[in-house]
Amino acid sequence: MDRNAFVSRLLASAAQRGVAGEVCYENGESFEASVKNGEIHQYNVADGMGLGFRVLKDGHTGTASTQILDEDALTQLLDGAVENAELVESEDRQFMYPGDDEYPELDLCNPELAAMGAAAKIEMARELERLTLAQDPRIQQVEECAVFSSVNERALVNTLGLDVSAKAALLGGYVVAVARDGDKVNTGLKMFFTMDPAEVDLVAVARAAAQEALDGLDGAPVPSGKYRVLLRNDVAATMLSTFSDIFSADNAQRGLSRLKDREGEMIAAECVTLMDDPHRAGSASSTPFDGEGVATRVKAVIEGGKLNTLLHNLKTANKQGVKTTANAARGSYASTVGVAPSNFFFAPSDTGFDAMAAKAGDGLLITDLQGMHAGANPITGDFSLAAKGFRIEGGKVTGPVNQITVAGNFYEVLRDIEAVGADLEFRAPGVSCFGSPCLLVSALSVAGKA
Amino acid sequence: MLTKTTATDVLREALKTGGDFAEIYCEDRRSGGMSLMDGHVEAASTRRRHGAGIRVFRGLNSVYVHTNDTSPAGLTAAARKAADAVTGDGRVQDIHLTRSLQRNIHLIREMPMDTAGARKARLLRDCDLAAKAVSPEITQVQVSLSHTETDMLIANSEGLFTGDTRVYTRLYVHAVATKDGDSQSGSDAPGAMMGYELFSGRVDPEASARKAAVQAVTMLHADVCPAGVMPVVIDGGFGGVIFHEACGHSLEAASVAFGNSEFAGKLGQAIASPIVTAIDDGTIANEWGSLNIDDEGMPTNRLVLIENGILKNYMIDRLNARRMGMAPTGSGRRQDYTFAPTSRMRNTYIAPGHDDEAEIIATCPDGLYAKSMGGGSVNPVTGEFNFAVDEGYLIRNGRIDRPVRGASLIGRGSEILMKIDRVGKNLRLSQGMCGASSGSVPVDVGQPMIRVTDITVGGR
Repeated sequence: MDRNAFVSRLLASAAQRGVAGEVCYENGESFEASVKNGEIHQYNVADGMGLGFRVLKDGHTGTASTQILDEDALTQLLDGAVENAELVESEDRQFMYPGDDEYPELDLCNPELAAMGAAAKIEMARELERLTLAQDPRIQQVEECAVFSSVNERALVNTLGLDVSAKAALLGGYVVAVARDGDKVNTGLKMFFTMDPAEVDLVAVARAAAQEALDGLDGAPVPSGKYRVLLRNDVAATMLSTFSDIFSADNAQRGLSRLKDREGEMIAAECVTLMDDPHRAGSASSTPFDGEGVATRVKAVIEGGKLNTLLHNLKTANKQGVKTTANAARGSYASTVGVAPSNFFFAPSDTGFDAMAAKAGDGLLITDLQGMHAGANPITGDFSLAAKGFRIEGGKVTGPVNQITVAGNFYEVLRDIEAVGADLEFRAPGVSCFGSPCLLVSALSVAGKA
Repeated sequence: MLTKTTATDVLREALKTGGDFAEIYCEDRRSGGMSLMDGHVEAASTRRRHGAGIRVFRGLNSVYVHTNDTSPAGLTAAARKAADAVTGDGRVQDIHLTRSLQRNIHLIREMPMDTAGARKARLLRDCDLAAKAVSPEITQVQVSLSHTETDMLIANSEGLFTGDTRVYTRLYVHAVATKDGDSQSGSDAPGAMMGYELFSGRVDPEASARKAAVQAVTMLHADVCPAGVMPVVIDGGFGGVIFHEACGHSLEAASVAFGNSEFAGKLGQAIASPIVTAIDDGTIANEWGSLNIDDEGMPTNRLVLIENGILKNYMIDRLNARRMGMAPTGSGRRQDYTFAPTSRMRNTYIAPGHDDEAEIIATCPDGLYAKSMGGGSVNPVTGEFNFAVDEGYLIRNGRIDRPVRGASLIGRGSEILMKIDRVGKNLRLSQGMCGASSGSVPVDVGQPMIRVTDITVGGR
């Protein structure tokens, strides 16, 4: 069945059943080509769609979704969503939104990108592999090298009059360089994401991956103890992404974040400002409307160390008697509505990297953290993670370090940030896109040599 | 889902431009979930995924196209897209499909999508009460149920035409204990390749809830774990994640085939202590990581990876089998039709040994007892791995002493395997989700209690 016809009929049947109904529709195409020794090694092409449906009945929502738009699906979705809504007992009231009069105009679909053919992307991957292998004779292999692109459309339509949609196109790639020197081996990964093909700098990507692999060849652990730690920008962004749930009003209200009732208090060092910017140019995570169709806006979640606001959707805002911050989010068309940031980042200063190392004095530069999905607890803020990096001695980066763990607590890290760098960089865009410049933290526990 | 005629036509289309192997994988998956927090059911959802993936090989290179449109026209279009990306001389392929059915090792008595929502809600509430009854310090309990029923079908240009239905049910309990602004968590997540009958004997949901709550309260009153290098005793069950991360991924052909594993080229060599035997087994009835057929249509099996310390087998999928000049081992797995399959683990465990658990502790120099492990990750190229200890205790003077929190363990796979000096007798298996290049798949990890002479422990 045609998608528009399906949506109209589905919403009409919800109205007939006496419930509010809302469709979240996603449609997209993706491409990925990976190369090995100049040849196409793996080639993936896909088109996919999904339709999520939720109903609002007596203040509760129930969700069902499908990837087939046929007659059966119409009844299954309505019956399923209503049944699910009736099973909910929570005292929290859910809402649906009729839409705003105005939405920000965001340019998320670059025609040059959409027009880029498969051949050009494959050649980009080949070139990235060539450049990486050429960086140094010790770069003897490339473990992975790929270029990918996607175009995604998302639409929200409901029985209250909401009707919004947005389309975003993305180009990206990654390379993993393998450096070998005698018995020693180390890998280095670098990724890139952009909405503008002209912006891609393959030389920089190749150089970064190769350097990462080479720098770590001679790594050794350092003695266990407390260290001044400079978190490299990508590592700081990873840490922010792991702990970003602490800023969710939903989690705070349910006793899963220590920031409950702390709006207006100092929770971080004065040099810390944390932004949520859904309008950031060039990001595939930017969006004119949130997961409930509310028009988005830019906000400072932390400003000069003070917690201004948590992130809200309509349910959490109503519970707290405040206005929604337009941070409702659905992981995909099939998800229930939760809370998430969009482009979420520590605001940079103008302190360059060398100056940051000088401020560190004697300590460690951390360039890699592993095991975030297991060794970090977003509820308590505790983390204990495998790490790699370099020593900082007399304000300069010196020898490589590996086989160490770094442990701490994210709430303490926020207070212990002594300085914020200038080199803001973002990670892979998803529902959210996390970024940070390098951050100097006064103390973290390191386990290494006895 | 797919007739023999359509499958044959689509496979021929896929091979028109010089590919030497083609495969169609069709999938229809119905899943549901229900979650509880603050003592009330707060969300319920059902989901239907449907699609197909077409894979074409030419020599050692592969193409994968996937789509939601499984009509003959949709599949033909996908096959054409795949063929367009393959360069070579076209040949007319003679394809003759023969249907086969593999024995169903995993009986399902109650399809979970048919179980009444009210029954599921009651189970969630019972778990919530059981967890809270453990201590007034329990401030939050999350309980959720998830289940899936997947019909899958595979046809390939070698003539295979087979399929399977897979059913999974899993409970997840997470408890938070709080005191004076400090909080700690505990969790348990038992599951199986079973229907709702999972809860009629195999899993006691309230016991699971209590386990999660006890872990949270114990860790709340625990000191921070000291940092350093020390002996570690790892308990059975999810402790098997050590082998999964330290060794398992590095034995998958996805890394080995390109020489990107520290165990590449080491078949027949000692890669572990002689008391270590390790198995990857898809045949255990109703186990979470089990299969009837893998995602390339091969019947499942029990594979000895390491025997008395000697490396015997890698886990190999079809494509890497070509690369390595070896036979595939029934290890091809994928998250769903949106991924091409590659070599993955199933139920992977260290086999029971001969050592007595009491002796393992009594003879241990001062160190750490890791009673409950969290997850971890590995870099198969370098062998560097890490994993989290969710519930730990110090070992002092040959006895389990006070609880400690926030520990993580790191090392290199090849080194840690050699340092296992005790393997207990009682094997336990535990469930997890493993993420890699072909997506997230259900796996078991497992082991009896083992002891490692020294590991780097990260604490505070």
